[in-house]
Amino acid sequence: MSFGKFFSRGRKEQQVTERMADHIDLLCEACAIFHQCLVSEDRRLARKVPDMEREADVIRREIVSTIYAGAFLPYLRPDLCRFVSLVDEVFDLLQETANIFVYRTVPESLKGECIRVALLNLRMCELLRITYGAMLEGADLKEKKLGLRIYEKKIDDIKYGLLRDMMEIEVDNFWQGRLLGEFIDNLTGISDKIEDASDHLDVLNVSMR
Amino acid sequence: MWKIGSGIFLGWTLGANDSANIFGTGVTTGTIRYRTAIWLTALFVMAGAVVEGPKCMQTLGELSRLIPLEAFCVALAAGVTMAVLTVLALPASASQAIVGAILGAGVLAGTADFSRLYRIVACWVFTPICALALGYLLYRGLAWMLDRTVRRLTYRNFIYLGGILVAGCYGAYSLGSNNVANVTGVYVGAGLLSARTAAVIGGLSIALGALTYSRRVMMTVGKGIVPLDPFSALVVVLAQAMTLHLFTQVGVPVSSSQAVVGAVVGVGLMGDVRTISVRMLLKIAMGWIGTPLSAGLMAVALILGVDAAAPLWGQHVGPLLERLGITEAIFVAVQFYGGWLRSVMDALGW
Amino acid sequence: MKLTEFMTTKIEYIDPDATVYDVVERMVDRRIRSLVVRSPNEKDGHGVITARDVVFKVLAKGIDPSQMRADELASKPLFCIDEEASLVDALEVMEQHNVARIFVCQGGHIAGVVAMMDIMWAVLILRARGGHVFR
Repeated sequence: MSFGKFFSRGRKEQQVTERMADHIDLLCEACAIFHQCLVSEDRRLARKVPDMEREADVIRREIVSTIYAGAFLPYLRPDLCRFVSLVDEVFDLLQETANIFVYRTVPESLKGECIRVALLNLRMCELLRITYGAMLEGADLKEKKLGLRIYEKKIDDIKYGLLRDMMEIEVDNFWQGRLLGEFIDNLTGISDKIEDASDHLDVLNVSMR
Repeated sequence: MWKIGSGIFLGWTLGANDSANIFGTGVTTGTIRYRTAIWLTALFVMAGAVVEGPKCMQTLGELSRLIPLEAFCVALAAGVTMAVLTVLALPASASQAIVGAILGAGVLAGTADFSRLYRIVACWVFTPICALALGYLLYRGLAWMLDRTVRRLTYRNFIYLGGILVAGCYGAYSLGSNNVANVTGVYVGAGLLSARTAAVIGGLSIALGALTYSRRVMMTVGKGIVPLDPFSALVVVLAQAMTLHLFTQVGVPVSSSQAVVGAVVGVGLMGDVRTISVRMLLKIAMGWIGTPLSAGLMAVALILGVDAAAPLWGQHVGPLLERLGITEAIFVAVQFYGGWLRSVMDALGW
Repeated sequence: MKLTEFMTTKIEYIDPDATVYDVVERMVDRRIRSLVVRSPNEKDGHGVITARDVVFKVLAKGIDPSQMRADELASKPLFCIDEEASLVDALEVMEQHNVARIFVCQGGHIAGVVAMMDIMWAVLILRARGGHVFR
């Protein structure tokens, strides 16, 4: 670390934090779009999600390279990068779910609950974004974490219902069934990943005290 | 004048050894580049030595009345003790080595004044204790203050970074001001140098040690402050710096390594009391006894050796060499090669 | 955020001819605290049986649950609220009628139910999002 970097301090860090916010915002947008396409059954809309995932990848690489170009104390860097990669994992899962949706419709009996899960996923992302902002400000994250846990539990409850109802569905062949199973798994797994990401925000919060 | 050579050697080992206490964590965690760290260390050690270095010199001079040749041996003994301990990866404290060596020489010459020793040893004992207290207080105090004022992640990050730098510079300054007396203080006592000159030369030698050989010590485990988070590391260096600076005002050179140990424990008291181990305490205690003892013995051995060797040289070795024409041969060789070197340099345009 | 986000959509129905024993069985199986009893005819609306009703009005009184019809125990009418209403409105109705749950109705049919637990969750989530439900 040379003196030049010291005096320009703050700019790189700001860039990183802003881009990280952009990253989560993009995730929220993708969740919103996915929810919308479930509601309207617009398969074309679902194709937007992979595009957004690609964009998110670009942002992620930018963040990581800025971090290792000298932003933040080396002590923090691995945790920051881990958080970004966790958000990226959410994106990947969302993309996989959307991809399945493009090729297969959701059975009528499951539709309502799937839409609910998609909405709750969206709410979780929004809360994740809020939690991220709070972490940056050094605020207490307890309430936000509780909110996220509540959402996650709700989705879990719906998941069991979905799995039960899924058993009543007739499928034409094994692959159809498998795809449906994957769709439900992915859809309900998104919330777990979001929770992982939020847990890591806690780590970041504590490590700087 | 060649007699100050051993002091320079001692300063060099001190610089190489103790720099790790200052920017060790910063460098090993990648927070600050090695080059920046050593240049800052060198700069501020010089500053500390020049500005407040002379304060501690009197204390060492009071221990024994030494002649220049004895001063040479004393510094050499201390330096060798330090070097050996470093190689053996044992804690090496220059303050303790030099005091042991001075007393050793003093005992031999009959000029040792043990009454002064009590004050010095008391300060040695208080060094880790004081650092412990400071470490604990600073940790709580600074944490409280920061939680109240700076909460934003980016700002905290900046504060920690700046803090590590500032603490490090202060640490180097304190080291210079406190320990330069260990390095060249004996020559002031022996009347060879003025306090000011001794401070400058001592400071330079410490800076040189930091610049040339500190990397190895910094990179090895065992300095004890590496696994700390940035805030704790900052507090440890700050506590150590303040402790040393405090003892500079008292006028007694103390050990920066032991101050670090105390500071780490003080900071560790916040969480785990397990940072204090019997082994660690034994190590420190050994430092208080073992180092001065070995340095003292070595000083005695050197002085006796020199005393014995001087007539030997004058009566036997010297004339032998002359008769064999070896001294002449060396003289001629130096002249020849010197001339050759000069012509090469002229050719290169230097 | 709308009431529809906090309500439970999975509502368990039971026939009016079923016994209270069947009701208990369903409640234990599905781990729920209330069931909607379908209306027996056009005139009457749906009714609701809660765990409280079962415990205090039947079991504690020593009445044999297999001898009682669900329709006899059900409370009518159901307390309904429009889905556009707010959380505060729902709470007011619940407090007014001293009930632990309120049904969210949409054009005459039940869309979901908001119970005390749902209210708790809703408030916590609103707090987490930085808003306040009550002054």
